[in-house]
Order: sequence, then C-alpha cells, then structure tokens
Amino acid sequence: MNKPLSKLAQASLALAATTFALVAYASDHVAEAKIAVAKAAIEHAEQSGGPEAAPVQMAAARDKLALAEKANSKHDTKPAAAWADQANIDAQVAEATAAQVRASKAAIEFDAGLQTLRQEATRATQPTQ
Amino acid sequence: MNTKLVSAISLALAMAACASVPQTNLALEKARSAVRSAEADPNVSVYAAVDLHTARDELDAAEAAAAAHNESGIDQPAYLAAQTARLAQLTASAKASDARVAAGKAARDQIQLNARTKEVDTALVARDQATQRAVSADAARDQATQQSAALQAELDALKAKPTDRGLVLTLGDVLFDTGKADLNPGAARNLDQLVQFLTDHAERRVEIDGFTDSVGADSYNLDLSQRRADTVKAVLVGRGIDSTRIVSRGYGKDFGVASNADSGGRQLNRRVEIVIGGIDGAPVAARSRS
Repeated sequence: MNKPLSKLAQASLALAATTFALVAYASDHVAEAKIAVAKAAIEHAEQSGGPEAAPVQMAAARDKLALAEKANSKHDTKPAAAWADQANIDAQVAEATAAQVRASKAAIEFDAGLQTLRQEATRATQPTQ
Repeated sequence: MNTKLVSAISLALAMAACASVPQTNLALEKARSAVRSAEADPNVSVYAAVDLHTARDELDAAEAAAAAHNESGIDQPAYLAAQTARLAQLTASAKASDARVAAGKAARDQIQLNARTKEVDTALVARDQATQRAVSADAARDQATQQSAALQAELDALKAKPTDRGLVLTLGDVLFDTGKADLNPGAARNLDQLVQFLTDHAERRVEIDGFTDSVGADSYNLDLSQRRADTVKAVLVGRGIDSTRIVSRGYGKDFGVASNADSGGRQLNRRVEIVIGGIDGAPVAARSRS
C-alpha cells in the first residue's frame, strides 16, 4: 500500500514542483509584461494630453508604476502585476479623459458654428427689406 | 458565468445573513456603482461595449472574492472594474461627440449646398428679370414708335400743318354759306377726324381762329369770324370735347393768307384755322399782331 502511494506522492510532488516553477516563471514574466504595458500606456497618455486633462490620474499611474517596479525588483511578482494593472488602467483613464474633453469641446464649437450657419441660411431666404 | 455569478451572490447573501454585522467593502461599492452607471449610459453599449464587458468581468471577480470572504482578493478587481467602467464612459462620450460632429458635417454641407444653389437660382432669376426688362423696354419702345407713327398718320389724315404755334388745320369757307356762320351739314362730317383725334388725345388743347376777306365793314367781319369760330367750337363740344380745352377767336380780315384783290385769294382768306396744342396740354399761344 505504501509503495504505490509513495510513487503517487512522488509523482504528485514532481508535478507540483513543476507547476510551481512554471507558475513562478510565468508570474514573473506576467509582472514584467504588465509593467511594460503600463509604461507604454503612461507614455501614450503623456503624449495625448493626459497630464493636462487628468493630472491626478497621471500622477497615480506613475506612482503605481514605481511601486510595481519596486515590487518586481524584489521578485514580489503578484503585487508587482497588481500595481502594473492599476497603473495601466489609470493611464488609460487619463488619456480617455483628455480625448473626451477634446471631443466635447470640438462638438460644442461645431454646434455653435452650425447654428450660426443655419441662422445665416434662414436670413438669406427671407426677403430683404 | 451567470450561473457562477448567481451562485456567488447567493453565497454572499447566505454569508451576509449568517454574519451579525454586514461587511461592506468601499472599493466593491465603488465598483458596483461605476459599472451600474456605465450600464445606464446609452452611449456605452454603442461605443464601448468591450470595455463594459471587461469591467463586468472584474466586478464578477471582486464579487466572487467577497462571497468567498477573500478580503485581500476584493480590492484589486474592484478597482480595475471601477476604472474600466469609467474608461468605458469617457471613451463612449468622446466617440458620441465625434459621431455628432460627423453627422453635423453632413448637415452643414447640405446647408452650404442649399445656400450655393439659392445663390445660383437668385442670379438666374435676376438674369431672367433683366432679360424680361430688356424685352419690356423693347416692347415699350416699339409701342412708342407705333404710337408715334399712328399719331403722324392721324395728323396726315387731318392734313394739319406744323407751325410755330402748333399743328394748324385749315377749314375753307366752302363749309359755310356766304355771310352765314352755320356749318354745312356735309362740313360737320369733315370734323369727324378732328373730333376723333381730340377724343384720343385728351391732353391736347385747341384754338379755333376765324378769318374773313377784306370785303365789308371790319366790325361785321370781326363778328362774322368770331361767330364762325364759335360754331366750330360748338360742334366740337356737341361731339363730347370738353369746352375748357377749346378757345375760339375771331380775327376779321387780319392775317390773310392770300391777296384780297381777286376772288380766288379772297376765298383762301375766308377760313377757319384750328391750332392743335402740344402734348403738354398748355394753351395755344395767342396770335400776335406784330
């Protein structure tokens, strides 16, 4: 009874060790990949008016990226990935805020121009006195 | 996943029911609120459906962690759910604005096209009107030419001669019996053309001048010439010409047009002259005895 069990236990142990190694390897890479994604998102947001439109979100994104890098340097991969995810979404929100402000402003200006054009067209159709 | 969510919520409810004090997680509350807000935004389902889906998945993970009392597993997915829901709303708002501008550009182009079409139409109408005016002017000129020609024809028919005082029509003495001022019945018909002319040209005045030859007393001749002029005036008034348009004068033997030495010349001198005034309606100038 013992032998087969120990064989099974050995197999299980080996599998568990392999799995652990794979997970450790994978999560390490996942954290690095997420940090890279967060960096790219921050850079993109910085070039798209994010700091002007959403300075708090941008600052949060940068702070969280720093925390992710710090954790990653200690091979603390799980918090590193979590901070990187938050930095990434914060940067995206900052960039989306800038885009939303731009689009809204453009739409308001366009509406005003269209209104003026409509009024001119209406005036033009009325007989001159 | 729905089944999972339902069971997760059921579990959470069951646990909450068991717990004496309900546990609330601020991050989870924020996430639920943000996802609800994004779901209620009609622009999100149109322009940011993928982001909303991601936010829901994160919220599900947070709810599952809460249901499992895995307190440390709640905050991260809850935060990501809230931020992704916010991202969905911002993106959808920007895209909706862009779409509104794109639609507005079509409307603007249509308005500008209409305005240009109207300008062209107006120019065409103006051109047509100018052409019409030119045609009308031509017609008016033609009509004036025709009227002028018609007047000349009428004057020719009257055998009127242009003079300094106006057009002069001479009625010979054959229209009157000797020593009488009554017009011959036949002579009255000869005034028809003059009556027609004066009727057609109501603005013109006339002066009727009577003349005799030198035979007989001057006073008799003056009186006879006046009565003959008056007779012609009476005939014209009788035919409907306003008397205020007509002046009659007798000049006796004065202003002879021929010699009184022979009967032919005397016959030419016994006459009635009708002077037709101008188109301006001014009275005919009196004959000067210079």
